[in-house]
Amino acid sequence: MFTHGEILSVLEMLKSEHLDLRTVTLGLNLLDCASDDLKRFQAKIYDRITRTAANLVAVCDQVGEKYGIPVVNKRISVSPIAVVAAPFGPEEMVAIAGTLDKAARAINVDFLGGFSALVEKGMARGDRALIEALPQALATTARVCASVNVATTRAGINMDAVLLMGRQIKAASELTAAKDGIGCAKLCVFANIPEDVPFMAGAYLGVSERDTVINVGVSGPGVVKKAIDRLLADNPEADLGRITESIKRTAYKVTRAGELIGREVAGILGVPFGVVDLSLAPTPNVGDSVGEIFQSLGLTSIGVPGSTVALAMLNDAVKKGGAFASSHVGGLSGAFIPVSEDLNISQAAENGFLCLEKLEAMTSVCSVGLDMVAVPGETSAETIAAIIADEMAIGVINKKTTAARIIPVPGKKAGERASFGGLLGESVIMPVNNAGADNPFIRRGGLIPAPIHSLTN
Amino acid sequence: MTDAKPPASLPGLDGDKVAMKKFIITVLGEDRPGIIAAVTNVLHEQDYNIEEVSQTILQNQFSCFFVVAGSERQSNAQLTAVLENSTAGFELFFHVRELSPHVNLNRELVCEPYVVTTQGPDRKGLVAGITAVFAAYQVNVAQLRAVFRGGDEPLNNTMIYEVDIPLSVDLNELRRALSERAKELDLEISIQHRNIFEAMNRVL
Repeated sequence: MFTHGEILSVLEMLKSEHLDLRTVTLGLNLLDCASDDLKRFQAKIYDRITRTAANLVAVCDQVGEKYGIPVVNKRISVSPIAVVAAPFGPEEMVAIAGTLDKAARAINVDFLGGFSALVEKGMARGDRALIEALPQALATTARVCASVNVATTRAGINMDAVLLMGRQIKAASELTAAKDGIGCAKLCVFANIPEDVPFMAGAYLGVSERDTVINVGVSGPGVVKKAIDRLLADNPEADLGRITESIKRTAYKVTRAGELIGREVAGILGVPFGVVDLSLAPTPNVGDSVGEIFQSLGLTSIGVPGSTVALAMLNDAVKKGGAFASSHVGGLSGAFIPVSEDLNISQAAENGFLCLEKLEAMTSVCSVGLDMVAVPGETSAETIAAIIADEMAIGVINKKTTAARIIPVPGKKAGERASFGGLLGESVIMPVNNAGADNPFIRRGGLIPAPIHSLTN
Repeated sequence: MTDAKPPASLPGLDGDKVAMKKFIITVLGEDRPGIIAAVTNVLHEQDYNIEEVSQTILQNQFSCFFVVAGSERQSNAQLTAVLENSTAGFELFFHVRELSPHVNLNRELVCEPYVVTTQGPDRKGLVAGITAVFAAYQVNVAQLRAVFRGGDEPLNNTMIYEVDIPLSVDLNELRRALSERAKELDLEISIQHRNIFEAMNRVL
């Protein structure tokens, strides 16, 4: 028998705090589909995806309804295409992206991730072909997400790949200029990419993973904010220790809900369950924002002094609650601060409270990085590469995942608005220091060696 | 209360085996400290074994049900009289009914546990309206708690049903029927499997 409070608190989370399961992502290993015949390869991957994931959406909806918690997004992650499709050239890679897009439409998932390459130590033929194909692949597909891992703590930072990614991001943005450079919203550059991320755009299925796996990404910034608001309404003098305890307990509840639903979906589909990703993932809706949590904590806005420590505290409490709730935690597992995807964060940028440099500082204490940051269209490829390199350094040195999802918006200047639609949201374009200046340092290229603390053996 | 299973028969005063009788006892009265102590003391003195108890307080009214097993020498009326006489100061109402000693606790239908919650402005007929749908679909109500404090504040007017829904029932059809009825009654309704509340609230 449950208490009134136990039942009503769950209902309240659902009704007015935006509790949902942000994503159930089915990982599909495509390595055994490898072929050097393009048509054959395309047929194999299309068949594998559409057959294995045929019921994914229906089962997620059914289980979501059973528990009264909606599974907002159903997604697919596949083995890195640069590995699976290594024999092919750039044009063929674009065609493969088209096949993936068609498969995603056929099974009605909103995104499919894994158009990916892992190049932290060097680029092989398949990697080069995929990276070359990126602008065209992102411009000609709607549901395919791409990621490129250019750095790890064990390998260092591949600065040639970083520079190349700066150029490809510019190219992708120009090819999708009519939609404010939306191609770049589906492309993440990573350091230390996890193999089991369920969230887009960074989801792919690592090469060490099994044939199929279900990974889930929980949500809950609205729930955390309301928990803090309630605590402070009841105890106006509560200190930060009390607040972190409240965040931790809330994260526990959210994680338990996510794992319950994820395991049931996995069971019905006959697929092993992988991990819960504990990330606090916002949407562009009021009340579903990570930024609003900062205001509940007493800061004027995300971005003002105090924001980094507040984020560190929040991120740690979420992890502790989540880690107690589930033994299989993975993916990114931290708070996201995607500028355009979080209404409050985008307003903070618009109101001048949040600048690119503060955002970068904050990424050193949370997942995932400079995420959904719209920058002026005139920002040079080299400057974008330099911003990426800075972000990668934070990940490599701190032995954590960092990523950059930067969108140069063609024809628009700092202070103007960019709109990407749906979950990708909209944002003011943030100014970039030294945006168009020459950068011989970045052009020098090469591999920045792994840091000394990578020598752990 | 004891967890021990009652013996199939109890020894009589003369050493003969005496068959066991089972009673359900309802106790009602204005709540105050000492009621349970007084009632259970009588049951103990009369050599009854308590098999199950459920007690609650509605507003200021104490209500309690005991299932007890004991000697068949006593009739319903005798047991009622003993209880009334021994707890006279509490002004309690007792009702005693004999039960079959062999209760089949398993329902024939295989069910899944759900929690159905409604919120909305108070009016007459809400419980009757919702439970009529349950009855039509063979849904058994295992627990019901409802608070109607009046007014339009949803949280002040809440019904929480813990129900067992037979696997044979088409869940979508039941959901549709409940949602339609809730709409007629101006209620917001949610129908969720019990496990979600367990997962989110309990450390098991």
